[in-house]
Amino acid sequence: MQAYAAKLIDLIELKAENIAKQWATDVMKHNRTPSYSSLPQDRVIERGVKFYRLFRQMSLADNSYEAAKTFSLRYAQECHRDKIPLHEAIYALILLRRNLWLYAEFQGVFVTALEKQQAVESLNRTILMYDYVSYQVIEKYQELINDDVDKKLGSIKTMMMNTPISGMKSIYKSGLMGILLLGACILTYYYHATLGTGVIFTHLLYIPIILASIWWGKKGIFVAIFLGVLILTSHALFLKAVPFVDDIIRALMFVVIGGVVGWLMDGIKKIEDLYKATI
Amino acid sequence: MLASLKLLDLMENSSASIAKQWAKDVVKNPKTPYYHNSDQDKIIPQAVEFYQKLSRVYTDKDPFTAIQKFMGKFAEARFKEKVPLHEALYAIVLMRRHIWLYAEFQVIFITIIEQHQAMDSQTRTILMFDYIMYAFTEKYWELMNLEFARKNKK
Repeated sequence: MQAYAAKLIDLIELKAENIAKQWATDVMKHNRTPSYSSLPQDRVIERGVKFYRLFRQMSLADNSYEAAKTFSLRYAQECHRDKIPLHEAIYALILLRRNLWLYAEFQGVFVTALEKQQAVESLNRTILMYDYVSYQVIEKYQELINDDVDKKLGSIKTMMMNTPISGMKSIYKSGLMGILLLGACILTYYYHATLGTGVIFTHLLYIPIILASIWWGKKGIFVAIFLGVLILTSHALFLKAVPFVDDIIRALMFVVIGGVVGWLMDGIKKIEDLYKATI
Repeated sequence: MLASLKLLDLMENSSASIAKQWAKDVVKNPKTPYYHNSDQDKIIPQAVEFYQKLSRVYTDKDPFTAIQKFMGKFAEARFKEKVPLHEALYAIVLMRRHIWLYAEFQVIFITIIEQHQAMDSQTRTILMFDYIMYAFTEKYWELMNLEFARKNKK
């Protein structure tokens, strides 16, 4: 391999910038790569230079597949960062390969019959490299999209306690909820039975209501119902002299807030599942 | 263009044999794990159809539109089967390689002139597969976005 490809590799290394400039002109006006037209030309050229400079390393490595990763992973990251759609990123790679050959042909690198034969073998090698690069770019690009979604949903996931804590996340959630509900019962009893008032403390009950809806979606509404029934029962038992209206409104608000948050969380969960299923 | 006709004939007349070789490869290739549990009899027809459709457009002056059409359907089928995009594309790469492996095995390019023809055929095949790769990725990408938008509406 080394003997027949040497001529091509030398040319690519020596003229990396020229070939990259030619590629940049091509890719920035090609109708199959419109996203490149808005990128700064210098950045596009630099990307091309990187590929052509790494060509020797990729071509001569014992494990070409692993060597190709040096370029592929960075290329996928840059395309993803520049919001270049995957099919355009792939076509830009095709143009990278084509421009390499156009340049070699234009320079008359392969003239004699022997050189023509070398050209076929070099072409085969280039195609193999390209096959590896395109496979790795697509794989990495999809991985980056998944990471993107994970990052965007990160804070919500933390709240949802989606990160397993020693594989006992549901026990932790239930345990914490149990403590919060017990606290709510004590607080209700203290305010209603001891202090004889229902003011302010009920706002604290939104903490378990919202957490339950975040964790269990629409099913979390049962916590809101429980707390609503709790303040109404407690009112009936300990605040007989105080009108019921305020606590009825509070209980209704618990159910409304719990329901809305649960409904929204189910929507977010659906989007997350969808991303995981389609990408 | 005439130089490519030998390969074209091979693709047209031996599509089933090439497809069988491809199927044997794709079910054990480490870059296509999705296919590892596939029944070879079920995947061979998709390769046969691919080779036949490719041979029909091989000599077209502007094959891109035709390729876009049949690769659109091919992408839809793979998308429905939930084949990961990079694996589906690598399976196509293997389809291209098996055309050449079969041609070499059948020793269809022997003389010096035929060797020249081989280079022309290779250039033509690469061009066709460049279009195939682009059309396939474009359609697959579109389907992924459509699926997301459709489910998001529900």
